[in-house]
Amino acid sequence: MITNVVGKRIQRIGIQQKVTGKTKFAADLDIPGALTLRVYRSPVAHGIVRKIDTKKAEAIEGVVRIFTAKDIPGKNLYGIINRDQTVLADSKVRFIGDPIALIAAENEKSAEQALKALEIEIEELPAVFDPLEALKPDAPRIHEKGNLLFTRKIKRGDVEKGFSASDIILEETYETNMLEHAYIEPESGIAYREKEGRITILVTTQNPHADQAQLAAILGIGPENVRVIQTETGGGFGGKLDMSVQPFLALAAYYLDRPVRMTYSREESFQATAKRHPLKIRMKTGATREGKLMAVNAEIIADTGAYGSYGIAVATRAAVHATGPYEVPNVAIESKAVYTNNNWSGAMRGFGVPQIAVAHESQMDKLADSLGLDPISIRMANAFKVGSVTPTGQTLRASVGIRETLKKIRPYYEKFSREIQETQHPLPQGVKLGVGVASMWYGIGNTGHPNPSSAQVEIDETGKITLLTGAADIGQGSDTVLLQIAAEVLGVGTEEILLVRADTGLTTDAGATSASRQTYISGRAVYEAATKAKEALLKKAAEIFNAPSSLIVCDGGYFYPQYREYQKIPFGEVAKRAVQADGVIRGEGTFNPETSSLDPETGQGIPYTTYAFATQVSLVRVDSVTGQVSVIRAASAHDVGKAVNPSNVEGQIFSGVAMGIGMGLFEQFFPNKTKSFDTYLIPTALDVPEVTPIIVEDPEPTGPFGAKGVGEPALIPTAPAILNAIHQATGRWVNRLPADLETIRGLVPPEEK
Amino acid sequence: MEEAELGNEIVEISMQVNGVSVVLRTPANRTLLSILREDLRLTGAKEGCGIGECGACTVLMNGKAVNACMVLAPKADGARITTIEGLGDEARLHPLQEAFVKHGAVQCGFCTPGMILSAKALLDENPNPTRLEIREGISGNLCRCTGYQQIVDAIEEVAARKQGEES
Repeated sequence: MITNVVGKRIQRIGIQQKVTGKTKFAADLDIPGALTLRVYRSPVAHGIVRKIDTKKAEAIEGVVRIFTAKDIPGKNLYGIINRDQTVLADSKVRFIGDPIALIAAENEKSAEQALKALEIEIEELPAVFDPLEALKPDAPRIHEKGNLLFTRKIKRGDVEKGFSASDIILEETYETNMLEHAYIEPESGIAYREKEGRITILVTTQNPHADQAQLAAILGIGPENVRVIQTETGGGFGGKLDMSVQPFLALAAYYLDRPVRMTYSREESFQATAKRHPLKIRMKTGATREGKLMAVNAEIIADTGAYGSYGIAVATRAAVHATGPYEVPNVAIESKAVYTNNNWSGAMRGFGVPQIAVAHESQMDKLADSLGLDPISIRMANAFKVGSVTPTGQTLRASVGIRETLKKIRPYYEKFSREIQETQHPLPQGVKLGVGVASMWYGIGNTGHPNPSSAQVEIDETGKITLLTGAADIGQGSDTVLLQIAAEVLGVGTEEILLVRADTGLTTDAGATSASRQTYISGRAVYEAATKAKEALLKKAAEIFNAPSSLIVCDGGYFYPQYREYQKIPFGEVAKRAVQADGVIRGEGTFNPETSSLDPETGQGIPYTTYAFATQVSLVRVDSVTGQVSVIRAASAHDVGKAVNPSNVEGQIFSGVAMGIGMGLFEQFFPNKTKSFDTYLIPTALDVPEVTPIIVEDPEPTGPFGAKGVGEPALIPTAPAILNAIHQATGRWVNRLPADLETIRGLVPPEEK
Repeated sequence: MEEAELGNEIVEISMQVNGVSVVLRTPANRTLLSILREDLRLTGAKEGCGIGECGACTVLMNGKAVNACMVLAPKADGARITTIEGLGDEARLHPLQEAFVKHGAVQCGFCTPGMILSAKALLDENPNPTRLEIREGISGNLCRCTGYQQIVDAIEEVAARKQGEES
């Protein structure tokens, strides 16, 4: 397919404002007379709030009002999948940081004093911090229905038979780390009540329409009375899918006739928002001596902390993806999300898949190592192809690029291996080099649930084109990609289209910016909307040229009959005539990829229409004396269906490698201990190697121009590739993340250093 | 510690901010960042952590990159301050801004102003840095979105162009 805009490295929308500092994030918005909001948070991990006395705090000069649970007009219960979280504690607190009271004050200082003057008594209850402990019958009960949030089972074939037919069986346990998203922009927003009474909230978010619905329920008003406008968002990675400042802003704006604003400090951002679920995984894998996978049996426990958030999705995704991108005839997986009194875990780039990939990719290398196969060959022997059946019983029909990613990575695997052999100088004592490979698959969109998107393309009598989308661009670049898709369909440049985005007052629901779904799902909705708008123009052009509309060309900002370009009429002229005759052109587009719900007992069903695939190779240097592991080089090949904007795709790949290095080597969030960037280290430019991004395009027939997604896939293979490289370097396996200094120092016995 | 003794007594400070003389009276315990953002409405410098770890508030003080969240008002007295707003505008981008645009070295953009100013300080001091030196030069500026590679590419190109002009 020849395209003019799609597939091109066009400039990111808004980048000029970003490099000149003109872009306004929520904390940059000027809103005169706004009150400051602060939250009193639980100092204990589990307890019952016995008394809240606000009198002294209210008497402080500058304090306008203090809100508690009794002030919530609607439902004091929210949550994106299961509703179990209170805006302000009505009786129980379940983690250190649970909100209890909200202060509205004239200034920061008064709010600060009020926080200290609040008299709150909490009866402390026994707490539980380990999900295995939390599952025991006598464990402290965190929620009324018990500590088990959810179980996902997947059963296919007969694992016992599969293990009997195996020549080799490996059973291992893995543990992954609790992580903080660490977007650089802390949560922030402003809110006010409009003259007509509507509550308007401008906020950093990945999920404006879901915010609107949840806020309306909290306030007990119709969603039409809440308007959420997404401000420029400084990264999200899943952490801005759940609400943060939104309910507090909405509540204060509901009661007070003043604008309000709230910005989390970094410390509050760390304490109060979701984390990546730490997983405990037991995985048993059987294979023939040729390396053909016969059976996978796994038990997965995800610590969802105090609240459910996206725990159900994480447990499900970890189960669905547990085999890796390989054909396995016999599968039995059980995955649980469990409440504890830790910080609540939610969505973070990959929803459990980066964690489970650590297990399945370590298993693959362990098998290869035992069987004397190279890591690429064993993966190639098992990798999905068109016609393969997944563990949920889905037959893959198209766009299965895993084999191509393996082929593309092999030369880099060989090159890095040669570099190790050719390293001339004796390495310092204890230093070894290793190469590691890992692959991944990732289902695009919500798992086994409908996840529709919608968009509109409007064209007025001047020929002005407007694209309306509810999709929140959080920095990943959906604005640019969606404009490219619309521009390609309409045969114009992206600069000729005005974008209206992520404002519940102006745009319709595009679903969340999550699950790597915006390019694929909202992109397709935009494609449909632009196509319908174009059809209206083609009809008019057909009249003008007195030719069938199927023979009219719309390209380069002109319409003309095929082979008669010399007759071309500008886009704006055709638009003008069409609008004069029929009114403003409005193309409505929707898309909801085919899914079916997964059977509760067997997990059989269609979780996603399409999957992204990837393979990554890393060259690492392991210093077993200092414990330092450095990734020296990496190459990462991603099947994205079609790269709508290759620079954006590459940006995601670089980003994923960087985040994966943090996950693999040093990031770990300790509840109530980790406070800020001084103790939670994320990769700097010095921690990240030069990365070779490789784009594989195996088109997805239902995607816009064949596109799928890459945001989360970019991260997933990174940590497992590093672990496999550490093994090659040291001969030792690391089964627990992060592979930090202490782990590596303890890995190699002193006599081998 | 000089800072520790500073309270909230009002001090008068004068600075050159983006070439404009600014005189203001402010409590001594306020930071340069809050003065820039709140009093001067120069919101290009961001607060990402408030403890000097993330670099989002980086500005140039007498040509050197500093974390504005760590500079108390009296320390800025008499200083020349350059913020991102003083570097270039859309009509006339600074070469670094232009290169960031060209290389797609921006995703969410929250770290971008600080990153560009650190890059400027680096190139002013070392016009011909290696890629490793570039990485060192921006290692105080955290970015969670880009993985840094396109940022390094952008800075490298500006350095190379400068070399080209000089030779």
